[in-house]
Amino acid sequence: EKKRWLRAYLELQRLQAPPQRRSEKPNWDYHAEIQAFSHRVQENFSLDLLKTAFVNRCYIESEEARRRQLGLDKDAVALQLQDNSELAERGLRFARAYLARCFEGAYPELPAKGVEALVNFLTSQELVSYVAQNLSIQDLTLCRDFPAPPDVLQKTFLAVIGALLDSSGPERTGIFVRDFFIPQLIGKDLFEIWEVVNPMGLLVEELTKRKISAPEPRITRQLGVSTVLPVYFVGLYCDKKILAEGPGETLLAAEEEAARVALRKLYGYTENRRPWDYSKPKEGLAAEKAISSN
Amino acid sequence: RYVRQLQRLQLLFSPTAADARGARQFVEEAAQDFARQHPDVVLYVSPRAGPGPAPVLRAEYLNGTVREELIASKTSEEIVQLATKLANQSGLDIIRIRKPFHTDNPSIQGQWHPLTNKPSILTIQGPRLQHQ
Repeated sequence: EKKRWLRAYLELQRLQAPPQRRSEKPNWDYHAEIQAFSHRVQENFSLDLLKTAFVNRCYIESEEARRRQLGLDKDAVALQLQDNSELAERGLRFARAYLARCFEGAYPELPAKGVEALVNFLTSQELVSYVAQNLSIQDLTLCRDFPAPPDVLQKTFLAVIGALLDSSGPERTGIFVRDFFIPQLIGKDLFEIWEVVNPMGLLVEELTKRKISAPEPRITRQLGVSTVLPVYFVGLYCDKKILAEGPGETLLAAEEEAARVALRKLYGYTENRRPWDYSKPKEGLAAEKAISSN
Repeated sequence: RYVRQLQRLQLLFSPTAADARGARQFVEEAAQDFARQHPDVVLYVSPRAGPGPAPVLRAEYLNGTVREELIASKTSEEIVQLATKLANQSGLDIIRIRKPFHTDNPSIQGQWHPLTNKPSILTIQGPRLQHQ
């Protein structure tokens, strides 16, 4: 049996060892893991496309550098791996187009800048790398650095979407994108995602487009005016009818908040809107699309 | 859609020890059926020779937690039940849940604040103010 001090030393070594990739630890079968990944996501992939989707440019470069270092002849042990950059580009374009179509269908009042802000948020590095981490893509990617940086994870996930597009067609890929990206919007407010500098100006523009007169701000309620923490409720009235009401610490802040509430109501992005429709698309839609494209 | 949170199960046991008998029976009889029923879990079976530590079933989840369960002196059916229990769990830590309820919408009509149900300044009818 091992001595007590030896066990303590080995335990310390184990805890201080640098983090290693899962593929370098014992019990790892790449092919089985990729099959399990495709079953976990409930999608049929063609496995070669999926394997190319996980190969990154930095991995190819590091492998070639290692082979040159070992002095191997280039033709004898050539790397026949393809990059995932084209798949990533196609996946990104499809995802952006699909999400833009979704939002234009669901919130028709939202202007183009708002749709663009939402799509940018959903395809941003942090969100995509967070989703990829929780789908075990960080174990399956082949990359030079460990742990894989978030832009590599984003590229790999978009390449997976591109591979799915090639294997199963745009409809199933659309359902996949909808199922994994749109739940990230739950609980988020429109103006947390979309930075608006001048909500009052934007509101005036929107109202002139709909031919309603300019809003008049009036103080509806106020509390604690002469204290350190006053609360003002400012209401916006158009033709003496109330549009929206918002609270704030100072009068200016309250007016801005009221403008934001009015914009949320106009675009239909309030907290009490209908939740997103995740039902299966009916087969009639495919026939409609085919007829419309013909 | 539903994504099973269990990534892989590693079955580490010794081919000669007496307490790993259930594990050996599980590998002979039920492991293949389990793997066919759960195609999204990768099952690794690694026998380690010699008198080593107790047989263990290690489960790795998508959020990185690794859970080890001892299977010494358990029968094959018990190991199957244990494996299905681990497969249906998520990788969150098993701690005491403080409350058995949780809502994302704590208030339907808006939470009460001291200014609800108080008429606003504009609609107060005083002796001088008049409605238009």
